[in-house]
Amino acid sequence: MSAREREPVRPGPPLPRRSLWVAALIGAALMAAADEIVFHQLLAWHHFYDRSTPAVGLFADGLLHTAEVLGLVAGFVLFSDLRRRGALSPGHARAGLLLGLGGFQLFDGVVDHKVLRTHQVRYGVELLPYDLAWNGFAVVLLAAGAVLAVRADRASRRSAAAR
Amino acid sequence: MTGRYTALAAVGPGLSPGQLLTALAAWAAVAGYLTAAARLRRRGDRWPWRRDLSFASGGLALAAAPAVPLPGGPFTAHMAQHVLAGMAAPLLLVLARPVTLALRTLPPGSTRRGLLAAVRSRPAAWLVFPPLAALLDVGGLWVLYRTGLFAASHHEPLPHSLVHLHVVAAGLLFSFAVCAPEPLRHRWGLAWRGTTLLLTGAAHAVLAKSLYAVPPPGTGFGTADLRTGSQIMYYGGDLVELALAAALAVQWYAATGRARSRAGRSTGAAGAAGPAGARRPSPAESGGASR
Repeated sequence: MSAREREPVRPGPPLPRRSLWVAALIGAALMAAADEIVFHQLLAWHHFYDRSTPAVGLFADGLLHTAEVLGLVAGFVLFSDLRRRGALSPGHARAGLLLGLGGFQLFDGVVDHKVLRTHQVRYGVELLPYDLAWNGFAVVLLAAGAVLAVRADRASRRSAAAR
Repeated sequence: MTGRYTALAAVGPGLSPGQLLTALAAWAAVAGYLTAAARLRRRGDRWPWRRDLSFASGGLALAAAPAVPLPGGPFTAHMAQHVLAGMAAPLLLVLARPVTLALRTLPPGSTRRGLLAAVRSRPAAWLVFPPLAALLDVGGLWVLYRTGLFAASHHEPLPHSLVHLHVVAAGLLFSFAVCAPEPLRHRWGLAWRGTTLLLTGAAHAVLAKSLYAVPPPGTGFGTADLRTGSQIMYYGGDLVELALAAALAVQWYAATGRARSRAGRSTGAAGAAGPAGARRPSPAESGGASR
């Protein structure tokens, strides 16, 4: 983009809901990317291809993987747009980020690992402790995100009342 | 049999006629592009340097991909070529807006009229319908790797050339349909282009993953070679998808910014003075407060 195209845009009202879901999109995509990098590439705990994966699992995995790439790009550009408009609510964005991170982790742990069986956390070991740790971590992230979301809502209501 | 694949992968002197043709066309296009851009600038028009760089590197990748011996086994080398010549190079060429450049530099006459008519024609509008372009591109890959075509095309020069030309042409068409940077008759909306990119990326990823375990019929690549090759297709595809998505995202960001500053200016003019107009709540703002 050239400097000429970047015209100043008047700051608008904060958009808490939009701030939350845009950050949640970034969070989910980041967690998917972290899963790919840490567990597939660095630790090689997950297999690139698991022969026990059914065809529907393979397709869902491909779709999810592409959605992760596109979600990362779309999330960051929507976030930049919120900032450009002066409409970002930072508290809601922080909450959304945690909800996205935890939401994806839980979805991956339940749908990918258990329902579609695209891969497991680890192979050749007792799975239960790994599954509990995986999904437990997801629940902690989700709970922290929910607490932040409630706080951010209260704060914005207070500031609206003060105005 | 393996010896034959090795000979083809370590090309150099063994370029197929299709590869030779693409390489020559690529060099000619780069020379033409750079000359036209230089003429435009001499005339005093603005034409960003990054477009020259994009077109030149795309042309270079297209010309070099089949001629440079790539590391790894024959399938790995083939996949590196596929990602380079069929995905990365077409995107770089399309992002440089060669049609716009041609329309700006060609003198008024039959060539210019013909090019404009072709770009604005109804068949061109349908050809760049994103799902159709995707079908020709990634659908072609499924046919190539999941039928006997791949094995056959490695033995026969004519099918090999045709496959190569199709991969490059389909890659160009797909990049063109998704980015839509040129003055087309009909530009398909962001939803069409984004959804197509998502589904095409998924189809590409699934095909790459399936190649990890099941080789194209009639071929006998080594297991390690097959696995490295399929991962190059998978992660190489990611990088190109990332670039395509970024191109779409930047277009959207610039367009919404322009639209908003236009809207801001018009409401500002409607109000009494600048600052007063600026303080007036926008429709979205007042709507949000009442809810």
